[in-house]
Amino acid sequence: MRSDLRLNNVGRRYGIHGPWILRGVDLELAPGTLTRVDGPNGTGKSTLLRVLARIDAPTEGKITGRPRTAYVPERFPQALPFTAEAYLTHLGTVHGLSRAAAPRAAAGWLARFGADAYARTPMTRLSKGSSQKVAVAQALLAEPELLVLDEAWTGLDEGARAELERAVAERTAAGGAVVFVDHDPRRLAGAPDATYTVTDGTLNLRTDKPTSPSGPQVSLDVQGPPGGQLPAEASQFLTSSTEPTPGTYRLTVPASYSDVLLRALLTARPPWHVVSLSLRTDPTLDPLDDESPR
Amino acid sequence: MTALLRYQAALLLRSQRWLPPFILYVAFLGIGVQGGQPVLDSLGYTAAALLPVAAWLVRICTTNEPPAARSCVAAAVGPARAHLACLLVALTTAAVLGTAATLVVTLISDPASADHRTRVPLPAAAAAGLLATLACALLGTAVGALTNWPLLRSPGRAVPAMLLAALLSVVVTGSPAQAAVSGLVTGSRSGTVPVPLLPLAGAALVTAAATAVTCALTSRRSP
Repeated sequence: MRSDLRLNNVGRRYGIHGPWILRGVDLELAPGTLTRVDGPNGTGKSTLLRVLARIDAPTEGKITGRPRTAYVPERFPQALPFTAEAYLTHLGTVHGLSRAAAPRAAAGWLARFGADAYARTPMTRLSKGSSQKVAVAQALLAEPELLVLDEAWTGLDEGARAELERAVAERTAAGGAVVFVDHDPRRLAGAPDATYTVTDGTLNLRTDKPTSPSGPQVSLDVQGPPGGQLPAEASQFLTSSTEPTPGTYRLTVPASYSDVLLRALLTARPPWHVVSLSLRTDPTLDPLDDESPR
Repeated sequence: MTALLRYQAALLLRSQRWLPPFILYVAFLGIGVQGGQPVLDSLGYTAAALLPVAAWLVRICTTNEPPAARSCVAAAVGPARAHLACLLVALTTAAVLGTAATLVVTLISDPASADHRTRVPLPAAAAAGLLATLACALLGTAVGALTNWPLLRSPGRAVPAMLLAALLSVVVTGSPAQAAVSGLVTGSRSGTVPVPLLPLAGAALVTAAATAVTCALTSRRSP
């Protein structure tokens, strides 16, 4: 049974007479949702994420729900007396993996982020980007129910950045909640279920969501069984879907969700047939179909 | 919790920061304890010297992990449990160190009272020494917990406060550690072996309270 995390009129300040960093925050993170938090530097985004990860307790207000949580800080320290592999194995068991499963998961995630060459390198000798990969791998090891990413993409190379976006897509597809802060507006563009802005310690839902999603999109032509319904896991992430001829669909998803969509289509019973697949980097040149995906 | 303890223990062991307090303790004992001295006196000294060492080990365990790494662990298991693991690892290390020292000191000391006239049974003396050592390890852990993060953060305040509190806990009447140590020393004069159960219980109570307070504060203080 997964549990939602719910913040009710939450405020946070450091010290008894310190200034309020957050005030009057109401927020709910449902399973399977992706939430983006925006805002200028020093407005309390990181504090909000620390409260969500339950590292910091709210000074006032209530927080309920205790999903299994993993957190990625914006800067990960190199000053740990372990190799990357040993650190991840320890953290895997701390996250609840068995002692046999932890090293396998650690090796798997290091390989996915292209860091398997550094598995046996002491953390103190890793570059900033490589140690950030370790921080990200640490959080993904045990398939958390809530993933909190505080500018986790900073310092990662291009391949790892795309891989992290795909990992986030996988996590939400598997029913985990993900909340992230990032200063790049193209980060997971079009994918978040909700975008909030933190201004002067208060949280506001962004309603000016652009109608046509920005960022690279993947469009697929697929054929389904006659009268078939798209699998629920697939339709959840679509930015558009049309049916040019009966039984043939053209589906569009944010590029980071293409693997999730393909997996859902190909593992459906009966499986769907993928006719063609193309990447569209600039959706403004190719107006999207207006049919609403949800 | 087992995984957490294993992680914290590995962190302490591999950081090699346990070495200075370890060397200090050995040096303390090298100066204060010599073979052939009355056993209960030496055991009292062994126990008392462990208190600042235990406090120092707590300081090492609570400052060993960079704040960002601590946050990762805190998100997974909760900040209070993460801190509890730090304190337990420090306490266990101090207890193991104290037990080893007590056994060695018991073996090299003279099983007699302070005036070398009354015979002191060695097993009973060792048991009394172990209880006193454990009381000092517990109280040292409490001192370390209360004078480091999350209560005191800047080293400029934490270190002097820790040293002062450790010194006071050994010498001030009413402190469980002082009671345990002075019990051994006065026992040595008459040649009777004390059973410092009351000081041990007192120390356990103080340490449990200090642990509860500091663990509850971990999520309320800035990292």
